[in-house]
Amino acid sequence: MTTGAERFRLLAMFVANRAVEIAETRPGEPSYTNGEVIFVASGRSADEQRREVLLQSALLGGGSLDPRVTASLRARPRLTRRYLSLEGRRVLAELADRLPLAAALRPDDQPATMTAGESLEKARGRTKVEEAPEWFGVIRPSRLLPTTSAEHGASPTRRDLHTQIDQLEAADDEDEDDEDGRPSERSKILKLFESPVSAVESLADYFRKLLGSARSPGNEDVGGHLQVRAGRRARAVGSNARPLPTRIRFTDDASPGAAVGVAGALFPEWDVHNNRYRPDWCRVVDFDLTDAADVSTGGVIHDDVLRRRLSRIGLGPKTLRRRPDGDDLDIEALIDLFVDLRSGHSPAEHVYSERRQLERNLGVLILLDASGSATDTDADGLAVHEHQRRAAATMVVTLEELGDRVAFYAFRSHGRHSVQLPAIKTFGQRFGALGRARLNQLQPSGYTRLGAGIRGAGEILKAQAGTPNRLLVVLSDGFPYDDGYEGRYAEADTHKALEELRTDGVACLCLSIGAATDTEALERVFGSAGHASAPNLAVLSPHMDELFLGALGELAAPQALTSQAAPARAAR
Amino acid sequence: MLTNHQPGVAEKHSEAPFYRPVADEADVFRAAARRGLPVLLKGPTGCGKTRFVEAMAHDLGRELITVAGHEDMTSADLVGRFLLKGSETVWVDGPLTRAAREGAIFYLDEVVEARQDTTVVIHPLADHRRELPVDRLGTTVPAAPGFLLVISYNPGYQSVLKNLKESTRQRFIALELDFPPAAIETEVVAHEAGIDLATARTLVTLGDAIRNLDGSGLREVSSTRMLILAGGLVAEGLSLRRAVQAAVVEALSDDADVVYALGELADAILPRT
Repeated sequence: MTTGAERFRLLAMFVANRAVEIAETRPGEPSYTNGEVIFVASGRSADEQRREVLLQSALLGGGSLDPRVTASLRARPRLTRRYLSLEGRRVLAELADRLPLAAALRPDDQPATMTAGESLEKARGRTKVEEAPEWFGVIRPSRLLPTTSAEHGASPTRRDLHTQIDQLEAADDEDEDDEDGRPSERSKILKLFESPVSAVESLADYFRKLLGSARSPGNEDVGGHLQVRAGRRARAVGSNARPLPTRIRFTDDASPGAAVGVAGALFPEWDVHNNRYRPDWCRVVDFDLTDAADVSTGGVIHDDVLRRRLSRIGLGPKTLRRRPDGDDLDIEALIDLFVDLRSGHSPAEHVYSERRQLERNLGVLILLDASGSATDTDADGLAVHEHQRRAAATMVVTLEELGDRVAFYAFRSHGRHSVQLPAIKTFGQRFGALGRARLNQLQPSGYTRLGAGIRGAGEILKAQAGTPNRLLVVLSDGFPYDDGYEGRYAEADTHKALEELRTDGVACLCLSIGAATDTEALERVFGSAGHASAPNLAVLSPHMDELFLGALGELAAPQALTSQAAPARAAR
Repeated sequence: MLTNHQPGVAEKHSEAPFYRPVADEADVFRAAARRGLPVLLKGPTGCGKTRFVEAMAHDLGRELITVAGHEDMTSADLVGRFLLKGSETVWVDGPLTRAAREGAIFYLDEVVEARQDTTVVIHPLADHRRELPVDRLGTTVPAAPGFLLVISYNPGYQSVLKNLKESTRQRFIALELDFPPAAIETEVVAHEAGIDLATARTLVTLGDAIRNLDGSGLREVSSTRMLILAGGLVAEGLSLRRAVQAAVVEALSDDADVVYALGELADAILPRT
């Protein structure tokens, strides 16, 4: 059910012939409009609000609130009232021809005037003008926003599409009076190329670049978008430039580190106090957990709610051809089979086609906080770490079953020189019993250098997920803390790391499960949409699709597939 | 059943379909048909693209073969395939091959719905070669003199992912169709739905009002087809308001807010009872 006056929006847009919003006034105030929003008196019945909307939008559509007219109404309440009374009748009468509703609502008497100018003349005069009914509301000349025809909402007029010479000359005059800084030097010929029509804009840009008269920084158009990109190698970068991670090469006696699954890089860290990056600050190492683990201890709780919720995300239909069974004959394959049979071969009889919802394009990396603080226990004697571990295992199993690309890393740190990302499951591995056992043997230790962990995990996700939609799920119990890494500094660095990831097209979500401590810091860092906390996973499961979609929705659009890792799903 | 994979519907028309030309589109089409130039029709959904082709085919006295594009369409669906008959494989022409052999008008509706690698099979037919290579037979089918290729698509609602390949697009002459002006649309709605002109005019006024809403949050606007549907309901004895609610308001949006807002607009524009 639509509450309030919003339901009249389309009606108002039709009558006013431009995009308007509807809102309610504060109680007791009469209805009015500022040109973009029509305010209707609150607490009235729908019928009363409807006629208020109709009148105010008719004033907009009928040209009664033209700035040339309303300028002379300022600070003259009596004149404004008389003008409203005349104009209200006029526009309603005009509208009555094409809108039966207006015909039904308008006052019975004939309008005394034919145009807005005439109404203004008459309002200025001394003839008796009937009082406006109360539902006419008021005109508030001071509240009317200065609208130009080029603004959104109004349809473009011939003048907008025309090359704007006259308007630019007016702007030129302003430039000359402009006292701060020199006005940008742009020749008038170049201005001829400027036009609000976007197709021409690139041409104008091109000419400006060609002739070397770039825009001055302060003169950006409204909504102008300045891209900072450099194709050239710069000798010195600004302090705000993000240093790239420096790869560390590991070598064993025989084989390079990559062969045994060890990789690492020196990551930068954001120093909020000096407002710059510290390049090559944190050594982040990711490696496979290879401990021999007792397989018998591995058990994962299945969460059907979670499975149902997550199965809705990122699904598209896909037709599978040449299947051993299915609901339709794949005629191509059938013909080929028979052709082969006739010519003496006997291939496998894969002649069915199947249409299934399994085109998944989500890559998830779950980053589990394995620091010492996670050993705090809750009322039941279960450590926070235990809660998070179970939740993480459940999520990994669920996502893997659904066919998403999923990796599972833990993280902990001992100062900036040792940030560890032990891999419990990489993107390529299956989360088998061995993986689960390894997870259960993972002992929490160390501290939480969250920013470095996020950067390291983000690199892995970007390089190995191979999907257009990528999501980093951080399971953490609270405050980032490490040697020389706390408070505002830690928060700012973590925030910066998340910002970097989002820029690179990776969504981030933080879940605090079982944490008794307050998670305000995490919520500050991740934002309220990107963070959720609950005593256990089952509480969050029903909302998990919203959480995932919310995090993914923060990215403007899925990024193009940039990874070298091809999704290993072609065979399925 | 093999018929599941028969593409689209191939149909013949005998009675003259009603089409009311708006501008010179019929002349352009006839000129293109005389030269055998392929035609691309653009326009919003329900503005009469298909009807236009039907009328033109009837006018030119040629058979019309219609195929609706869909994502699963393969080139074999267009060109043809071997089928099993008894103990032999028999070649069966696809609709495109048949049209090329018989000199019919081949109309590929919603061409962007088909995958781009499928639609390239029409390329040799769409340029000066006017022939269709059938690689499975190892032959080339030259297009009969009357053959004409017509494709249509709706530039509005398709996503950026689904667009026409530039190399496909450049082979066609393009005709842009839009909703007809109010006077003509009134005539069309009255004729098609079988209602009087006054009711049709009211429906067209409402349709125009919805089309001109700027930033209304509607993905599609009220099409001529939609207005004809509403008119049909009126002709069946429903009240105008109810018919509009069913055929236009509820059909345009699932969003309760938008439905209410459209209802308010309809209330305002339709005659008071």
